[in-house]
Amino acid sequence: MEPLERFESVEHVVDRFRAFEYVMTEQAATVVYLATRLQKPVLVEGPAGVGKTELAKTLASCSDRRLVRLQCYEGQDDTKALYEWDYGKQLLYTQLLRERIDTLLSGTTELAQAAERLRGQEDVFFSEHFLVERPLLEAIRSPEPTVLLIDEIDRADEQLEALMLEVLAEFQVTIPELGTLSARTQPWVIITSNTTRDVSEALKRRCLHLSLGYPSAERELDILRIKVPDVGEELLRKVVEVVRAVRQLDLRKAPSISEALDWARALTLLNVPSLDREVIEETISLIIKYDKDVERVQHELPRLLGIIDTAAPPTAHAHEQGDHHHGHTHPTSEEEAYHRHAQGYFGAIRSDSK
Amino acid sequence: MDAPILRFVGLLRQRGVRISPAETLDALRGLDAVSLARRESVKTALRATLIKEGRDEPVFDDLFEAFFSVDDRRRAGGHDHDHDHDHDEDEPAPPTQVKVSEEPPDFDDPSHSHELPADIAKYFDDDQLATAKRLHKDGTRIDLGGLSQELILGERKEDIEQAVAQLRHILHLRRLTNPGAPGKLALDGGEVVDADLTVGSVDHLPSLPPGSMLDEAQVEALRRQVDGVIANLPELLRRYLEKLMALERPAHSKEASPAYTAAFSEEERRRMDALLRRLGRELKGALSARRMTAARGRIHASRTIRANMRYGGLPFRPVLVAKRQDRPRLILLVDVSLSVRNTARFTIHLVHSLQSLFSQVRTFAFVSDLVDVTPYLERCELDEALGMIFGGEVLDIDANSNYGHALATFHREHLSAVNRRTTVLVLGDGRGNGNPPHVWVLDDIRRRARQLVWLTPEPERYWHLGRSDLPAYAELCDRVELVRDLDQLEAVAGSVLRPL
Repeated sequence: MEPLERFESVEHVVDRFRAFEYVMTEQAATVVYLATRLQKPVLVEGPAGVGKTELAKTLASCSDRRLVRLQCYEGQDDTKALYEWDYGKQLLYTQLLRERIDTLLSGTTELAQAAERLRGQEDVFFSEHFLVERPLLEAIRSPEPTVLLIDEIDRADEQLEALMLEVLAEFQVTIPELGTLSARTQPWVIITSNTTRDVSEALKRRCLHLSLGYPSAERELDILRIKVPDVGEELLRKVVEVVRAVRQLDLRKAPSISEALDWARALTLLNVPSLDREVIEETISLIIKYDKDVERVQHELPRLLGIIDTAAPPTAHAHEQGDHHHGHTHPTSEEEAYHRHAQGYFGAIRSDSK
Repeated sequence: MDAPILRFVGLLRQRGVRISPAETLDALRGLDAVSLARRESVKTALRATLIKEGRDEPVFDDLFEAFFSVDDRRRAGGHDHDHDHDHDEDEPAPPTQVKVSEEPPDFDDPSHSHELPADIAKYFDDDQLATAKRLHKDGTRIDLGGLSQELILGERKEDIEQAVAQLRHILHLRRLTNPGAPGKLALDGGEVVDADLTVGSVDHLPSLPPGSMLDEAQVEALRRQVDGVIANLPELLRRYLEKLMALERPAHSKEASPAYTAAFSEEERRRMDALLRRLGRELKGALSARRMTAARGRIHASRTIRANMRYGGLPFRPVLVAKRQDRPRLILLVDVSLSVRNTARFTIHLVHSLQSLFSQVRTFAFVSDLVDVTPYLERCELDEALGMIFGGEVLDIDANSNYGHALATFHREHLSAVNRRTTVLVLGDGRGNGNPPHVWVLDDIRRRARQLVWLTPEPERYWHLGRSDLPAYAELCDRVELVRDLDQLEAVAGSVLRPL
């Protein structure tokens, strides 16, 4: 199939992504649509596991473009991100071609003449041939259109960010040995960041900004439904409710969508018909990754169970509410109240509210 | 199309959002690409192109709501947010309202607003004047916008007085020397009065002539006295002022303005900048002893030979090594009580300007309670953050210094932040007012940290005067430095911050 040239509209983006099992908010879709229209990179920020990387992967697969991925890490430099000049290969060529060079130069009497003749062959020694393409260069030199994913840019050093500026704004790379290589096809660029540090102003200015957060109950249920289709609606809804309630607790690492997915999948494998105290206790480690957090959740378990029993279903469909005849004490307001209380001291309010 | 967006960007800039011309162009191009009929896509397009920091998002959302409100102006009559421009070109905003948002008059002092009526009269058309002929009867709100204030006071005097009495109550308590943490005193301080009061106007309020319960006739007379044409001026004024307040920079509002401004003189600023530049250069030159493989550097002979065995020992692929720079982490514990405030101010400034040179800088301020002020320093302008710290908005700075308590809190909650890459700087005079000094905490810190340095503004000969626990603390520190002014701070910074 031909790579997708462009999206027709925001709805088109939503539909394509949905066909590839990615449920996106209209906001995200608008930004993706704009990015592809304006040829701008998108900087996606948000907590781990809310689908930032997945967004890029899905963009690639739903537009039939090749995904080129640059995983950032501390201490990464241009030779790992952009390109490397393969001196070894160059040397080897020179060595192996020595005899040929001798024959080429035979018959010349003067040094200047030899140099002239050699100059005619310079391309052999300085060509893209000796260029080892790293992801950034690969993405813009690729003959077929690509999606370039620069993953977790906050892990990379700031120098690397500066290096990317030329690539991201102009889609070109300047190589001292060869000159400026410009893009054969303009890649769609997705940059993700977990905001462990602030990405530099210069980079942000060149990007469209999208912050992904935890999804609404409805969207999360939607995601689970698509990704884990063989689980009963009832169970999925409870999973969503519990995960959302756990997120409200003051944890070191709140569970995100990926954890919710893992959990739902695990529950299918275990063939669990419904969530009860025992099941939650046994499988809670799938969504909670720190011991202290587990303790905290165990402590709050009775309240969480209460949520499952009494919560109104997050969807608006009336028929799904059938077996819930309890009063609707929706958890949200209660939890907010709890949080306000836990703030402790006056000075905390400002920092926590962000 | 362009003009409203530019104005919108201008207003965002006014609120401290940094937007470059390039981003403005992006916004315009973005709007071309999305459908203008849908409010959400317009909002998303503008947000994605203009707003790059999470902290700016609430500002953007508020302003967007105020600026591009849906055109239900006609139905809702005087809706609060309707003073603005539509993004649709075929629906230009009425000139009166453009005027209001374009040129907000000086609104710093409420007492000036009595000069406004003549101007305002032009801005509101007669239809609206006629329809909204109702006084503001909601007694829980005080509007101090010139004329309207007195009219409302006349109607619900007892409510107003009660509210003012509560205000005075709170004001009075704040003058106490040692009132505990701000905000803890008056947890349920009654109604929140939705207006900024200057002390002068508070005093002025109860001194209105007694028995000024105005009947309808008197109100009418007063209205005529002001201007016979403007029948419902108070209502208009109220709305006008509300709009102004909505458009006014948030920094002008009461909660955000620091009570204490840590202003630096130009001379200080200049020297601080010079110091920072020098430190920056020196730090770059400071390298760790370990050599690591690097893209450029010296050839490591043995590793090169080993790596090139496959080429028959010919060194095709030289292995280069260079000294890597170790970026230190820094934890700063600062006593912000009165006695060391000046030094603390400089030190916090210095350390946070150096943030780029460190992989991590965390600052804790304490007097008795210990507060992690790093977020304030990261999110706010330095001056503003310093103002908040020293103005007592973050922690109670009028408490008695209690080093033991502060250190114990640090040990309990933040000790994990200290590791072998960390340099811990404690700044204070060590005068804990006879509270238990908890010296063991420093011992623990020293064992974990790479370096523990105590900065004190007092020379050693004064330590034994009064009650200072500094001698006990000093024993455990790697170094104790005397820092009283910029010169000394410079010297210490140079030696302390350089990686070992």
